[in-house]
Amino acid sequence: MIDYTKYKLKPADELKSLLKETSDVFILWCKKCYKAFEKEEESECQKFIQMFDEPEKIKGCEAIDFLCNRYLTEKKLAEIIGLDHHDIGVLSCGLGIQTVAEIAENKGVRVFTLADTIPQSGNATSVTGYHGMALGSEKCASCGQCYLTITAGLCPIVGCAKSLLNGPCGGAKNEKCEVLPEKSCVWIEIFKRIKKQGRNFDTGIQIRDNNVFTTDEKRKVSFFSIRRRTENFYGGLHPSENKDITENLTIEKFPAPKYVYIFLSQHTGSPSSLLVKEGDVVKLGQTIGKSSGLISSPVHSSVSGRVIGVEEKFHPTLLVNCPVVIIENDFSDEKDASICGYVEWEKMEDEALVEIIRDKGIVGLGGAMFPTHVKLRKPKNPIDTLMINGCECEPYLNADNRLMIECTEEIIEGIKIARKILSVDNVIIGIENNKQEAIEKIGKAIERYPWIILKKLNTKYPQGAERMLIKTTTGRQVPEGGLPLDVGVVVLNVGTVFSIYQAIVHGFPLIKRVITVSGSFEKKGNFEIPIGTPLKDILDFCGGEKAYDTENYYLKMGGPMMGVVQGEFDTAVVKGTTGYVLLEKNPAGTSEENTCIKCGRCVDVCPMELYPLYYAFYGKNQLWEKCAEYKVKNCIECGCCEYICSSKISLISLIKKAKKNAYNKA
Amino acid sequence: MLITKLKSQQELDRYFDKRVFIFKCYGCSEIYFPEEEVNKLIKEKNEKITGLVEIDYLCNEDFAKKYIEKNTDEIQNAKGIIVFSCGVGVQVVAKIFEKSMVVPGCDTFYLNGFQGLTVLDCDCNQCGQCYLNYTGGVCPITSCAKSLLNGPCGGAKNRKCEVNPEIDCGWILIYERLKKINKESILKEKNYFVRDFEKIIKGI
Ligand code: SF4
Ligand code: SF4
Ligand code: SF4
Repeated sequence: MIDYTKYKLKPADELKSLLKETSDVFILWCKKCYKAFEKEEESECQKFIQMFDEPEKIKGCEAIDFLCNRYLTEKKLAEIIGLDHHDIGVLSCGLGIQTVAEIAENKGVRVFTLADTIPQSGNATSVTGYHGMALGSEKCASCGQCYLTITAGLCPIVGCAKSLLNGPCGGAKNEKCEVLPEKSCVWIEIFKRIKKQGRNFDTGIQIRDNNVFTTDEKRKVSFFSIRRRTENFYGGLHPSENKDITENLTIEKFPAPKYVYIFLSQHTGSPSSLLVKEGDVVKLGQTIGKSSGLISSPVHSSVSGRVIGVEEKFHPTLLVNCPVVIIENDFSDEKDASICGYVEWEKMEDEALVEIIRDKGIVGLGGAMFPTHVKLRKPKNPIDTLMINGCECEPYLNADNRLMIECTEEIIEGIKIARKILSVDNVIIGIENNKQEAIEKIGKAIERYPWIILKKLNTKYPQGAERMLIKTTTGRQVPEGGLPLDVGVVVLNVGTVFSIYQAIVHGFPLIKRVITVSGSFEKKGNFEIPIGTPLKDILDFCGGEKAYDTENYYLKMGGPMMGVVQGEFDTAVVKGTTGYVLLEKNPAGTSEENTCIKCGRCVDVCPMELYPLYYAFYGKNQLWEKCAEYKVKNCIECGCCEYICSSKISLISLIKKAKKNAYNKA
Repeated sequence: MLITKLKSQQELDRYFDKRVFIFKCYGCSEIYFPEEEVNKLIKEKNEKITGLVEIDYLCNEDFAKKYIEKNTDEIQNAKGIIVFSCGVGVQVVAKIFEKSMVVPGCDTFYLNGFQGLTVLDCDCNQCGQCYLNYTGGVCPITSCAKSLLNGPCGGAKNRKCEVNPEIDCGWILIYERLKKINKESILKEKNYFVRDFEKIIKGI
């Protein structure tokens, strides 16, 4: 890989005379970009300090990665020096310096440039740039009227020292350029390649039009891109949604399974304790595992029939063997006596409602499976907003979307119950604007309830994550390591409020849910499915044979971004299953071994404002404590960094390892 | 930052006069890539297309090769290959399939300064002798259409550059910035060094 070092220290004399003018300077340096990430300290900062003969003037020294990332640099600057007292000396390329100068502009702070940007094409600041990991020899001068069609894929603008378009200048000797004798004449190469293709020059060449993309157009594009980066919340992505595949398919009942596998652990917290044994006859909705602690939730039988065993099976999200109750369905759907609803719930005590929600095993259905009753118990902090999450920002999934369209009234009723329990005035429903039908339906239904506000949000992944949703809709920032409660908000998923409604009004425990099956399945759709339905039944019913071809396909439970890859098929639907997507494997898959090139893209997309490249660097060297220093515990594993990584580094698996190793020890 | 725009319909129609294989790179779609237009085109010309590879970071030859491995025969048998990516991606494919006609579906442009995905308002031309100390952090080389170092040319009208009336005069920006930080005296006190182009030639 070519070393695209960006800057180097200015000559000593110049620096000396320059810094005569200041008495108090804070040094900021950038750790450089677009180069193989091989060592952490990448700068002439030490050299500068050694050389500088008035060390008492230096009030501090701090590195900021990607100094030109205006948003993060501004935040960090405020944190580090408060921008009030010192002059600032900057060691970075021209972009970093200009960014700092811009930020410091209104503070009357003088910004000194301590470095010269190294003239070299192909680094981040030049027109003849590279992206991604194209740190090879190909270059593009972004001329705006690509000639490669005519020149067989060899660029005459970059390749020819004179950027000639009219063929060779005639000065080449022994096929070498007369300007740069170490280079081959590109026009000779072009001729050779065209011959190989059995072609001749048959088209004329247009002269260069240096004005094809106007300043105005460029400005529009810049504006568009900057807006996308910071709109609603910092970072995030806009992956292809692929929602159209299933968005208009109405929820279908999945055929009743012959057996169900009910995991005892279907929630965050301690697994429920077993109440049945082999041979027991159970009814639909009967509690078969009771809640075993404060943060826990009971599980219920989703069919009527007979317990034929309690075994260990592979858990789809915990990825270890966990106990399951296997029940043979007798298809009689005989309901348990406990299933009785309370239509007049408005007259009930809040406590009693929370108890029911707990007993009915309601957990967060967005995927996290956090027991809902814990969220609804009167919290210490005052709550002023109930947030209903209808974002469903994961590509492919439509379960929540369909639910909002088809069960609008039930959802509203569920919201009313949750609102009563929490005694809040404000309810906000956040729906991304790629779900027009749901927005219309909900919008119409809430006309009667002026206290429900519907927010239509521009799509951006991972807007459905609680923190991001709160930021987008209320502007509040959940503190680092904190919970939505800390800013007075409780967030419930639309699926969860629907099941609250089912539990209170109809007495149904959480024994079925809606999932989306999409991707390379033969039969795609949205299904209402009993919890515990074996994955194999779904693969059979939906024609998912390709899932067994693990060479070329992978099956994810959940969406493509945050979903968990299912390597073991002898497992079943749990409460947090939002869907299954079957996707073709990327031939250039991710690897932990790839080298980071410090492109900074992961930093740009991380909604938690982290610096994921350090997880790549330290993770590879197994320096887990270092990952902890870079706050790996704040990571929400949204997958944005891995998605965008131009070196295809499997950041998520490194992050998971870092979390495990860095904190378990401590 | 390199960004792309679809070539003219006329030119594209010409490419589709035979059966072609398509590469579509979405690596930079987070910044700017005419993805919708490309998808529309692919749909329209469906029967002319023998195969499609959707890839990110086509500019990385290693990745590109892995994608291509799976489809080599198909690609070689196509009468042509159209690549929707920046100029770098096109060159990567052209190098791998030297014997095939590889054509770019897009024109490539440059956007000012970037890190990762974020485009900046400012830009740097790598002059090798940074002048920002004397200009309050506004680059005279890139913000002045003439890259003047000796102050404004005098041709600006209503703050706008006489060469490119769409932009503000860089030297007015410099003056305003210096005034904000109370350093406008720099303009009178300092001597500027003439540009040393040898630095660029040699790449210091
Ligand atoms: S997975 Fe973690 S580090 Fe990566 S973008 Fe998401 S929050 Fe940031
Ligand atoms: S981890 Fe990947 S995205 Fe992040 S800087 Fe390194 S190469 Fe770029
Ligand atoms: S003066 Fe401008 S072009 Fe020269 S190094 Fe500084 S920012 Fe870059």
